[in-house]
Amino acid sequence: MLVERLRGDETGDAMRALYRSYGGELYGFTLNALGDAGAAEEIVQEVSLRAWRHSGRYDPRRAAVRTWLYQIARNAIIDSRRRAAVRPGLPQHEPAIEAEGGATLEQAMLGWQVAAALERLTPEHRQMIRMAQFRGLTMREIAEHTGLPLGTVKSRTWYALRSLRLVLEEMGVTPS
Amino acid sequence: MSCAHVREQLGGYVLGALEPAERDAVAAHLAECRTCAAEHERLAGLPALLAHADGLEIPAAPAGVEERVLDRIARERGSGRRRRLPRAAWIPGWARGRSLAAGALAGAVLGAGVTAVVLGGDDDDPAAQQSYSLVLSGAGGASARAELASGRGGTQVHMWVKGLPPDGDTVYEVRCERRGWSASAGTFRTDSRGRAYVVLTTAARLGEYERIRVVRRSDTTNVLTGRLN
Repeated sequence: MLVERLRGDETGDAMRALYRSYGGELYGFTLNALGDAGAAEEIVQEVSLRAWRHSGRYDPRRAAVRTWLYQIARNAIIDSRRRAAVRPGLPQHEPAIEAEGGATLEQAMLGWQVAAALERLTPEHRQMIRMAQFRGLTMREIAEHTGLPLGTVKSRTWYALRSLRLVLEEMGVTPS
Repeated sequence: MSCAHVREQLGGYVLGALEPAERDAVAAHLAECRTCAAEHERLAGLPALLAHADGLEIPAAPAGVEERVLDRIARERGSGRRRRLPRAAWIPGWARGRSLAAGALAGAVLGAGVTAVVLGGDDDDPAAQQSYSLVLSGAGGASARAELASGRGGTQVHMWVKGLPPDGDTVYEVRCERRGWSASAGTFRTDSRGRAYVVLTTAARLGEYERIRVVRRSDTTNVLTGRLN
């Protein structure tokens, strides 16, 4: 269990493993939220440290590791925005904007987790979902585009969605 | 339309990617078949979730952050010294062990005054791997040969060093760098003859850095430099 290993992590192996598993998506999430690479790196660093400091509080029955890390990142982003808001000379955040930002952050967290789930599919499955969902192609158009038989495109898309559903369930993300 | 045929169409149906006639036929079947309708129900919420991920590409984790986190943790542990490093592997015989195989390391004799970070990776995906060799040179005849093997998690650096001051106490740091950017791959010491064989792993990936540098840890004096062409 990765988070439990963090506590007695003398060599840094557990932290490296944690960082390599989640660092990229947390960085993407934070960069999108803050729009500043340097600030995003600071947040990812802060999230990693908080995860290490508070690994004893992590309860696997309550949340998956990824969800827990995203919650830490979300709080760190909100803290960062608050600090920026009280710093003289920088634009002030209105409270209403902050509340709205919180809701947007929740949606962004969901989006990055779904993106991470897609990364766990096979390239063939991911391709079907990307082409149909994000590029809006029909099964027939995908078959023409890829040169695959239409039946293969259809069955592959079905298997791709089934796989995605399973991965999301494992991650604790379920359709509402 | 049979259930098997409908199942095959369900992915396209859920994603709105069927032709109108196919879509209508599936809809008619779902209205009558509870088993297929249940399967459809399991997948029907996915497009709304996927919409949140539209345009999101997971970037590489920033390479320098990993080292900064480990350094901070080492400091916060209260000892004030750098994190404890595992004992290194020493392969007897200069320039032996050109192989990048982990077996060469596993079979090595431990100790011999060399300290290095030896960290396992999950970089066993052959498609993601590349390798690169380069020579580093420095003052006073010091030199090193480095073999870099990249994987999804970063770069594994194997380095054979010779000609450094034969004190055995100086800690050297290997850095992967480009202009304005530097990531540590870890530290090592030499043996009493100024030689070392080190195996290090860094989150920096091939292509992210232009040169490898070895610096003296205490004062960051440049000791060896090699450029990737």
